[in-house]
This record gives sequence, structure tokens and C-alpha cells, in this order.
Amino acid sequence: MNLPWHRFLLPPLVLSIALLGGSLYVFLAGSFHADLGVGRLGDALTFANYRKLFADSFYVDSLGLTIKLSAITTVVTLVVGMPVAYVLARMRSRWGPVLLAVIVAASFVTIVIKVLGLNIIFAANGGLNRFLLGTGLVTAPVSLIGKVEGVAVGLLYFTLAFVVVLLYSVVLTIPRSLEEAAQNLGASRWRTHWRVILPLALPGIIASGLIGFNLCMGAFTSAALIGAGRILTLPVLIQRTVIFDTKYGMGATLAVVLLVAGLVVNVLSIVLVSRLKAARGVTA
Amino acid sequence: MKGFTERRVNRALAWLWVTGFMLFLLAPLFVIVVAAFSEPILGRAVFPPRALTLRWFSAIQPEYLSSLGASVALASAAVVVCVLLGVPAALGIARSRWRGKAVFAALFRAPVQIPAVVTGVAFLQLYYLLGDAIGWTGAGTWTGLMIAHVFIGLPYVVGSVLAVVQRFNSSLEEAALILGAAPWSVLRRVTLPAIAPGIYSGATYAFLVSFSDLPVALFLSSSDVRTFPVLLFQAMDYEFDPALLAVATMIIVASFAGMLLFQKWVGINALLRSGK
Repeated sequence: MNLPWHRFLLPPLVLSIALLGGSLYVFLAGSFHADLGVGRLGDALTFANYRKLFADSFYVDSLGLTIKLSAITTVVTLVVGMPVAYVLARMRSRWGPVLLAVIVAASFVTIVIKVLGLNIIFAANGGLNRFLLGTGLVTAPVSLIGKVEGVAVGLLYFTLAFVVVLLYSVVLTIPRSLEEAAQNLGASRWRTHWRVILPLALPGIIASGLIGFNLCMGAFTSAALIGAGRILTLPVLIQRTVIFDTKYGMGATLAVVLLVAGLVVNVLSIVLVSRLKAARGVTA
Repeated sequence: MKGFTERRVNRALAWLWVTGFMLFLLAPLFVIVVAAFSEPILGRAVFPPRALTLRWFSAIQPEYLSSLGASVALASAAVVVCVLLGVPAALGIARSRWRGKAVFAALFRAPVQIPAVVTGVAFLQLYYLLGDAIGWTGAGTWTGLMIAHVFIGLPYVVGSVLAVVQRFNSSLEEAALILGAAPWSVLRRVTLPAIAPGIYSGATYAFLVSFSDLPVALFLSSSDVRTFPVLLFQAMDYEFDPALLAVATMIIVASFAGMLLFQKWVGINALLRSGK
């Protein structure tokens, strides 16, 4: 069909480039100016912010913590989520689509509300803690607030439902007939999982994992509300630096580091996966 | 016989895993809904409750509802702009003869790769700069927030529509053209209805991205411009008003009801296809 398709593309493209270029340019440029206090930036170009960031263990630790927390959460998300996605995708009963719809709906609810619910569950005088104290499993009420583990749980709630939905579509792309063939040839259920399904799903699992990882790296809400100012991941630090300290230069620098760190991890994993694939001679 | 028991054990394990997962996933939401109908203990919401009440629903402050309404209006406006920009963009990417179309597709996807906090900082500084340059204030205004939400929502509309357009069989369009229809009316009567599921799912994602966003809105909000997630976030720092639980319950119920309607009208598969 002959319509001037490029004219369709032009206005949104120009606008997108303007917003993407404009916003990226402004904060990239901001990171090369020193903070003069009360939100003003110096005129001279300088690497001072970057030097300060990498010399100060406070910032370096925050970067390390953000990457570590995101990696751990991603691995837990995949280990917990993959069996769920597999069972749902292979389920023949009517419950499959219903459960999937519930998971999608749960992923729609903003994380602020989920964290609010977590706080109620882990309230000091709540049912969970009274039960745990009663059984003698713990000697003091369990709390998530201000703990690294707590932030990890919060991040899990941020990514889990979304990643399971992604993994579900990955499992759907693996023909059921391949599993049946493996089992007809005498492979056990577990062997089929390890030797047939996982290798075929691996690219999809890694792609979903990276999306989960990116979500965690940028996750502000869980870390801010559960970390309660004690667990300072980079997103929390960026918000505090900009809003509380009004240091726009340093905030922009931290934002650049967060963006670049995320991209580096993504590129490294993609390179690693293609190496693995090449080494094993898998074509997919 | 051995295979039979093994299969039963596997099946039981699978159900156990999925049930545990669902309980874990839904627990915080369930607790909020119950707490919204409960008497607090020492001013705090507690699960399980000791007594039930409806008074939190009558204690909802007008300010909460206006903020919730503003969030819905903001998300709706962002969705309209996203669809107006995203549908032509996806059609253009799929069908123009320009080279480097893959680059354009990547360009439209780029905002997803940027952490939300970074987007917030970037737009705040962009708006300050524009304020100095042309005197237009974007920070702390609904328009400014809407533009930022279009930025983070557009990739979903372009992605969903592109996924459908690329698989769409153009022989239907050709048939309509041969039968004498004008290209523009083919676009309206054949192409757009055919790609509608992609538009719906993209619009749904864009709506939710805007409606559930906290980090971007936190940077661009002001005392007059506050979305509901921002209000809730700020309320959690101070003495918590249980009436907010009632509003949160309304959002949870609306999310599940919305999903049900989407499942009925469009089908959940449209959402899954575009997730990639």
C-alpha cells in the first residue's frame, strides 16, 4: 500500500530525538560542572564530580551495593519465577489463563502500595511476628525496614510478576513436542528439564533477567521506603543529592554512573551469552 | 507404577510451588484490602484484624480523591499523546523505505533502558534550562509531568504496535485496494482495526507506566501538582492515615477489574506479545 509512510514517522521521530537528546545532553553536561551550592552550577568544565565520586568510598560502595542487590534479586527472581512460568505455560486446565491474569493484574499495582502492604505484614505487633515470637523461632520482631534483605524483598516485589509474565512467553516458544520426544526416548522429567528446556529457553531467560536487572538498578521506591535512609542505593542517593542537597552537578554525575553501569552489565552479559553459544555450537 | 507415582509427586510439587508463589505475590495486596476494613491497634494497621469497620472509606480526604483523579487524568492524557505519536511511528518504521529503520526502532526503545530516577533528574534539569532559555516552566506543572510520562510510555506503544504490524498480512489491504478503496480509507477501515489489539495493549502499558510511576513524578511534582503515588509516598513518612488504605484498596480492586475487562475484550495474549 502506497502511503507517505516516512511522513508518519517524521513527527514522532523528531520529538523523540528532541526529548531523548535534550534530556540526556542536559544531565551529561551538568555532570561536568561543579556545584556552587543552592542549586547553582559553576561555568567551567571540570571532572571534579567524577574524581570525587570515585575517590569517595561512600559513592563507590553505593554503586557496588546497587549492582550486588540487583544481581541477587535478579537471580532469585529467575529461580523462583521460571518454574511458575513453566507450569503455567504447560497447564492444560482452565486455571492457567486465570492465574496468569492475576499475576499481570498484580504487576499493575504500583510498588508504593505493595511496600505499604509489606510494612503491615511485618508490623511489630502483627500476626506474622506474633506467630514467629510465639513459636520461639525469633527472639525479636522481624522487620524489613533499614535492612539490605528487606530492600531485596522489596525489589523482588518490583520485578517478580513482570518477569514471570516475560518468562511465560519464553516457555510458550518451546514446542511441547520436543519434551515429549525426549521423554519417549527415555529421558526422565528432570533430565528433560536440564538438557532440553533450559538450553532452549536460555536466551529468553537471560533477556528476561536483564530486564529484571535493569528494573532493579533503577528501582527507587522499594529502596527508599524500606531502606529508610540506611540502605543507600544509587537511585536513592541521586534523589537525595538532587532534592535534599540541591547538588545538581553531583546528582547528574551519579545518574551518568548509574546509566553507564547498567549498560556495561547488559553489554557484558550479551557478550558472555554469545560466547557461551559459540562455544557450545548452539544455533538459536 | 513407578512412573505413575513420580508423575503425581511432580504434579504436587508444581502445584505447591505455584500456590506458594501466588500467596507470596498477593499477600501485600490482600493485607491492604483487609486492613482498609479493620480497626487499627494503637493507631497502626495490623494484620490479622481484631474488628471490622467501614469508617476509613468515609474518612477519605477530598485531597486524596483529587490526587487520584489527577493521576488518572494525567495517565489518560499521556496515553492519548502516546497513541497519537506511537501508532504512526510504528507504521512508519515498518513500512517506510528509509534505511536504518532498525536504528529508529532502537531509538524509540531507548527510554526504557534509562532508569526512572535518571529520567526524573534529566527532565528536571531540561526544564530548568528551558525555563532560563525561553521562560517556559516545566518543573512542577502538569504539562511538564505529562511530557515526561509520554517519554517513558511511548516505547511501549511503539513496541506493541510494531509487533502486530510486522506480523500483519498485507494481502487484506491489497484486496481492499484492488476492490477500489482509496489508500487512506484502507488505512482507516482495514489496517487500524487489524492492529487494534497492539494499540490497546500498548495503551494499557503506557497508562500503567504513568499511573504507577513514582520516581519521575517525585522530581517534577510541586505542592499543587501531586500524583497519587507521590502523595502516598510522602504520607508514609509521617503519621499514616488509614484512609489511604481505603484509596489503595480502590486502586487494587480497579487493577484487577481492569485486567478482567481487558481479558474479556482484547485477550491477555495481546499483552504478552508486546511484552518483548
